[in-house]
Amino acid sequence: MLPPASEEKLSLKNLFSSTTTADKILFSVLILLSLSGIIFMREALSRSETVRIEVDGQPEYLLPLDKNRVVPVKGPKGTTCVEIKDHKVRVTESPCHNKLCMQQGWVSNGAIVCLPNRVVVIVGNHGKHHKTADAITG
Amino acid sequence: MDTLVTITVVSDSKDNAEKAIDAAFTEIEILDKLLNFYSHDSEIANINNQAGISGVKVSADVFEVLNKTLYVSEMTEGAFDVTIGPVSMLYDFHKKIKPSEYGIKKNLQLVNYRYLVLDKDTSTVFLMKKGMLVDPGGITKGFAADKAVEVLKKRGIHSGLVSVAGDIKTFGLKPDGKPWKIGIRDARAVDKEDDVMGTIELKDMAISTSGDYERFFILDGQRYHHLLNPKTGYPALGCRSVSVITSEAVFTDAFATGAFVLGPEKGLKLLERLEFEGVIVDNQGKIYVTAGLRGKIELKKSF
Repeated sequence: MLPPASEEKLSLKNLFSSTTTADKILFSVLILLSLSGIIFMREALSRSETVRIEVDGQPEYLLPLDKNRVVPVKGPKGTTCVEIKDHKVRVTESPCHNKLCMQQGWVSNGAIVCLPNRVVVIVGNHGKHHKTADAITG
Repeated sequence: MDTLVTITVVSDSKDNAEKAIDAAFTEIEILDKLLNFYSHDSEIANINNQAGISGVKVSADVFEVLNKTLYVSEMTEGAFDVTIGPVSMLYDFHKKIKPSEYGIKKNLQLVNYRYLVLDKDTSTVFLMKKGMLVDPGGITKGFAADKAVEVLKKRGIHSGLVSVAGDIKTFGLKPDGKPWKIGIRDARAVDKEDDVMGTIELKDMAISTSGDYERFFILDGQRYHHLLNPKTGYPALGCRSVSVITSEAVFTDAFATGAFVLGPEKGLKLLERLEFEGVIVDNQGKIYVTAGLRGKIELKKSF
């Protein structure tokens, strides 16, 4: 049988006085972690549309489509620069010979493929179909 | 082929897997060079240039594809016709160009697979009338998927999946021992390529879907899509999408187009007669499923 908890023991004051500095730091870190977790999850859930960049068949980046940025992607031939801006994606620089990937211009849904540098940029709604199926027909 | 090709293989060696995939991609590129309707130096272009003049000797692959189109044409009573070229070239789905009625009527006279003559002994192909054009676009993607799988198998791969723009050929099982799971795109999910109407598990089977949403434009409230009826020269109206399942992708590809043109009732009967499986969505959204597929296909909506 546990002794009945006294009022004094439960008071905040008492609690604080019995915690060490290390405890306080630990609590703060835990609170921060859980808060950032919530923010991170919100971010992750809100981005329905993503940009997936693969090099030589291997996924290298999975980025939200709603954040503007320029990503240098290293391929076997050099660096392919992928720009994400206003929910659209394009290749701005490529070490390949014919620059077909650059000529494709802005893409908001679909793929940009640079065969010589083995870079594939896929824009659209990912994740969902990879869970439900291995491939889509139609 | 101007389309997205994905190749997935299962192998215990990354090196082998990559080499096999490279070889399979090379195979698809070679086939594209031979069979491309729009290029000027493909074997198909050669055949078309010599229409009404002389027969053209072709490679074994091109001969095989054209030979198969004749079989599909016979089975679909001309609903699939590889000589649709003179009519299909009148449409431009990017620029939203609808041909004139006169143009369609005139060029329709050049559409008839019976004027495509194949000579097996000399491996030559001859189009009997000048101006005729073979456009094998309705069969090459499936054919390429089959051939890519052959290459993978020759390289010792026992399991994989090749998708050439949605014409999919699977073989073997996944590493978890399960069959490949294929989603069938929802014909009216606008701009959401990953929205599926249902899923089906396949082992050593191919699947293709022909849909009125792939290449189309809307003009005066009318949808003009790329699945043309070879009898009228206009887009076929009975279906939104037709998916076909059998062992060879060359046939799922061509018969999906053929069944689409035939319309839901005739299309379903054809698939049953061929002992193929399939799913047809008619122009009202009603779903028809072949008997063998009931219980095996997972549909989001009931039917």
